[in-house]
Amino acid sequence: MSQRLDPLPTEWIERDRLVPFSFEGSRYTGYAGDTVSSALWAAGQRVLVRSFKYHRPRGLLSFANHDVNTLMQADSQLSVRADVTPVTAGLNLAAVNTWGGVSRDRASLLNALSAFLPVGFYYKTFHGRFFPFWERTIRKLGGLSAIDPTAPRLRTPKQYDFCDVLVVGAGPSGLAAAIAAAEAGAEVVLVDENARAGGSGSYQLGGDLDQAKQTAELIQMAAAQPRIRQHLQTEAAGYYADGWVPLVEPERMTKLRAKAVIVASGAFEQPAVFHNNDLPGVMLASAAQRLIYRYAVKPMRRAVVLVGNSDGYRAALDLAANGVEVMAVVDLRAVQVSPEAHAIRAQGIPIFSQYGIYAAETNPAQDGVCAAVICPLSDTGEPRLDQRQTINCDGIVVSVGWAPAANLLYQTGTQMRFEERVEQFVPDRLPEGVFACGRVNGVYQFDKKLIDGRRAGLEAAAYLGFAQSVPSPVPAAESESPSHPWPVVSHPKGKNFVDFDEDLQLKDFYHAAQEGFDNIELLKRYTTVGMGPSQGKHSNMNALRILANINNKSPQVVGTTTARPFFHPVPFSHLAGRGFTPERHTPLYSRHLALSAEMVKAGLWQRPEFYRQSGFSRADCIRQEALNVRQRVGLIDVSSLGKLELRGPDAAEFLERLYTGRYQSLKSGRTRYALMLDESGVVMDDGVIARLGPEHFYFTTTTSGSSRIYREISRLALQWRFNCGIVNLTGARAAINLAGPRSQQVLSQLTSADLSAEAFPYLAVREAEVAGIPAILMRVGFVGEWGYEIHVPALSAPALWDALMQAGAADGIRPFGLQAQRLLRLEKGHVIVGLDTDGLTTPAEANLSWAVKSDKPFFLGQRSLAIVGQRSQSKTLVGFTLPASFTGQPPEECNLVIDQGEIAGRVTSIAFSPSLERYIGLAYVPPAQSADGTSLAIRNSDGAMIPATVSSTPCYDPDNRRQKESFLTEAV
Amino acid sequence: MTLLTSPLADVLRSRPGTRQELNQMSVLTQVPDPKPAETLGLADLSYLTRFGVKGPQSASWLSAQSIPIPEQPNTWAALPEGGLIARLGRSEFLIEDGPDSQTVPRLAAACNSPPAQVYPVLRQDAAIALCGQATQNLLRQTCSFNFQSLNLTEHPVILTTMVGVTVTVIPQPKSHHPIYRIWCDNTFAPYLWQTLAEITTELGGTIIGTQDFIPYTGQMP
Repeated sequence: MSQRLDPLPTEWIERDRLVPFSFEGSRYTGYAGDTVSSALWAAGQRVLVRSFKYHRPRGLLSFANHDVNTLMQADSQLSVRADVTPVTAGLNLAAVNTWGGVSRDRASLLNALSAFLPVGFYYKTFHGRFFPFWERTIRKLGGLSAIDPTAPRLRTPKQYDFCDVLVVGAGPSGLAAAIAAAEAGAEVVLVDENARAGGSGSYQLGGDLDQAKQTAELIQMAAAQPRIRQHLQTEAAGYYADGWVPLVEPERMTKLRAKAVIVASGAFEQPAVFHNNDLPGVMLASAAQRLIYRYAVKPMRRAVVLVGNSDGYRAALDLAANGVEVMAVVDLRAVQVSPEAHAIRAQGIPIFSQYGIYAAETNPAQDGVCAAVICPLSDTGEPRLDQRQTINCDGIVVSVGWAPAANLLYQTGTQMRFEERVEQFVPDRLPEGVFACGRVNGVYQFDKKLIDGRRAGLEAAAYLGFAQSVPSPVPAAESESPSHPWPVVSHPKGKNFVDFDEDLQLKDFYHAAQEGFDNIELLKRYTTVGMGPSQGKHSNMNALRILANINNKSPQVVGTTTARPFFHPVPFSHLAGRGFTPERHTPLYSRHLALSAEMVKAGLWQRPEFYRQSGFSRADCIRQEALNVRQRVGLIDVSSLGKLELRGPDAAEFLERLYTGRYQSLKSGRTRYALMLDESGVVMDDGVIARLGPEHFYFTTTTSGSSRIYREISRLALQWRFNCGIVNLTGARAAINLAGPRSQQVLSQLTSADLSAEAFPYLAVREAEVAGIPAILMRVGFVGEWGYEIHVPALSAPALWDALMQAGAADGIRPFGLQAQRLLRLEKGHVIVGLDTDGLTTPAEANLSWAVKSDKPFFLGQRSLAIVGQRSQSKTLVGFTLPASFTGQPPEECNLVIDQGEIAGRVTSIAFSPSLERYIGLAYVPPAQSADGTSLAIRNSDGAMIPATVSSTPCYDPDNRRQKESFLTEAV
Repeated sequence: MTLLTSPLADVLRSRPGTRQELNQMSVLTQVPDPKPAETLGLADLSYLTRFGVKGPQSASWLSAQSIPIPEQPNTWAALPEGGLIARLGRSEFLIEDGPDSQTVPRLAAACNSPPAQVYPVLRQDAAIALCGQATQNLLRQTCSFNFQSLNLTEHPVILTTMVGVTVTVIPQPKSHHPIYRIWCDNTFAPYLWQTLAEITTELGGTIIGTQDFIPYTGQMP
């Protein structure tokens, strides 16, 4: 605790609560309220991390969570931002990006080799046949943390929130804006990235605590205002359309929707560019002030203060007032207009005007600064080395300017202009509902920020109708520029860093420009400036000034890069949130689980793939299920099918336009296959249409197509203005397919309906009660057996399932899953849309021409189909079989059909048929190879060529004998 | 005879409590400790019977059946005998009986042979109810709609999505905190319920039975 100051009224620490923690294996003790950085700095630890590229020692820079100098790892927790992470008992920290620890990093050798590693060298070096080697090497060298795959999942539930006015930034202007808007009647959310409100009003004091008292009063007013909700330790990390702003809090992300947004986000203090400007001990003035006033830590013992504005003089006064010996104030400017200069001189501190720091000198331990080399600057900013002098110090404090934290403003669409008066970009035209105040608006002096904040708050309230008239006093102009236009001093040895994330030096920018990357966006991509975790908060402005200098253009002409959300790093856990993944269960889900079903995802649905039988393999289970349907009776849950109802006088005509078949002629009590095409004539969906009455149809779609088809049909119903109404019953009705030679026998026990072939023939539909449940029964044969598709209200489905299982017990009823169903329909040669067709398949190619009534006046896709029909067909779907003797690894879906070394087609379905005792399948082949008996060669996944033979479909029950009652009687 | 199964039966099966058969469905009516529901309570009201109707003539047909019609789309009204009617757009309606009313069977019978441009809609929704002081907290974690902006005296009906599931929500003003009625497609119900139940537990609430829910409503809607 050697660097701790006496207690200060502004400090955030609790001195009566000690907190032990460790860093790099050494034990430290901080106070409750300390951050990791403040506790380490107070303990004299200067090197906190190694730089990304050259592994140079780094200490505090911004002390504001805006740079990566203090990125650490705490056990499995990655990217711990030591500047703002509170110390907690037992915290075990390690520096990142080191080989052998932060003190003895073996990779620091790269610093000595830096002359051979200029920016862009990797574009020119790491390619060609050695690329894999370089890739591995770079991956080993790079990285800011080590991921622990066993780390427990953090609970980070997201939430939504809403407000009238969102104020981003709880500094003086933000507090004033929030209070003004709330007093006018608006519900305000006030966010700030710091643990407490107040911003610079609590630490940039110039040695005078009065400003801190005023700020504390503002904080109290905001806390007492019931219409203000404060979110501290929270970043407003982006701006999206309609006022959506993600608020990134320590434990979660809140998606906030604000009717108006006031950006009072302040400004990022900018570093100066000089040799060794990254040594531990060289820090921004605001960092030093935060160390003093928030954590009562002396930043250094002896300081040289480099200034380019009045803020620097106030920082020097703060240092002097808190026990730091200020060796000199080095002012980049020729003329001092800062009133604080008198106070500095009065304390006997020398001021060097129109001087710059030429270099910082490294101490013998190589872990900090020991002196500043200063020299006068010419009018063009060149150092006059003949007059240089060295001032011993253990810290250099830099206050040369600011860059507005305008990322959110850019994202709102605000047009910014470069204002030379304050040497920064300021809002030129704000979008409706967006307001700006304080430093981001070019207003720096404390009193003026309060005025500007109040103006913005009242304007936002008036925009929302809370205030009738708005007094809008605009604060007077700043008396001097808060930023210096050229805080850059060149040095022949380089190491004058512009971007601390990526170790980019001044010379790198000149090299980039020489290579032609002299546009701000190109420069960014070539040098990677602003692309590190800091996202350019401390580098973009200097990079822009350097490029403007190189091109002899103004910053306005050079422009800025795009500020995309999120502009501040966000943990992946926050983005993931709770992890909402909707899924659908049929009403029979628990029945399937009780029967040991292996469930599989089919779109959003969970469906039984097969039912596991103890002692049998998956393949055996599927074959048993299929054989049971062929020989006895099985039932399958087909509730996921799309189910639609259509009523009205135009219903039949509407269906005729939607589907390729004829439905005006379909008799009541009958069903018909239905094929739907898209406008280009491609197969889109299929199902069965049942006519329940003259103006009443009930029809199915594929499982995957149900929502899409309902939307499309609803759209067309509106567009075509037919007199009919459509109802989506996909979820409201469940369906069970009961199939097999004993299905009639089973069903007859549960219904009084006449199930005879005469009364209820193949492809008929009936409405009847089954087990006391009102049902729609369809005689369909998708799996190639006598069967019924039974559709009932969803809440009755479990009762129906139980009744069928009970009634069929004596007949050997068993459920069958998706795999058995696919096998059974494959034996029957039935096509599954989406499996045996793709996004280009026409009905002719899929052998579905029989379902297309081209002589109808109109149906969807008809015109395209006519055009396609004039061209020669390039592929056709055929059945194939493998030799009965085949025993190897069978082909899989999507394996290619090869002809003379070229791709001739592909397999769409394949399965082993227990009925035929061989593999059967469907494949697309050229029409010339589609004749029955043609030999095919299918390339297996492991590269083997498998012989196959084209065979006509269906290969099972080609005469449809099993749909005849005579066969049924015989089988039972 | 138990013919109907709640879409939430599977996820409630292991829940201890008293069950009764109501409207041909086994219903969790009471749980041993319903007190946490003062913070947040989650109940399954799927046993209440429902009827839907849509089409250009649906409003006039309902009027002819002596059903009060909410004048504005996306609003609801209480039914005289108990239950409610929600107008889900210009020409679609959801009618739900209260525990003791018989409006739905009457309408279903009357709509067996529907007149022109009246289309009955089979409703097999899962029906969920939320009560307690932390309902807003739960809603903010699951839905992007700002329920606090609503004027509940206008009887709003909200068609929105919750954790990715399309839902119909009716907030009902009650003595201390509004209760929220939520309807969704029954096939999404287990996922929606489990998500809501997980958050409810995290927030200190509990799952309750239909009888436990009554103190929060005064009477069933």
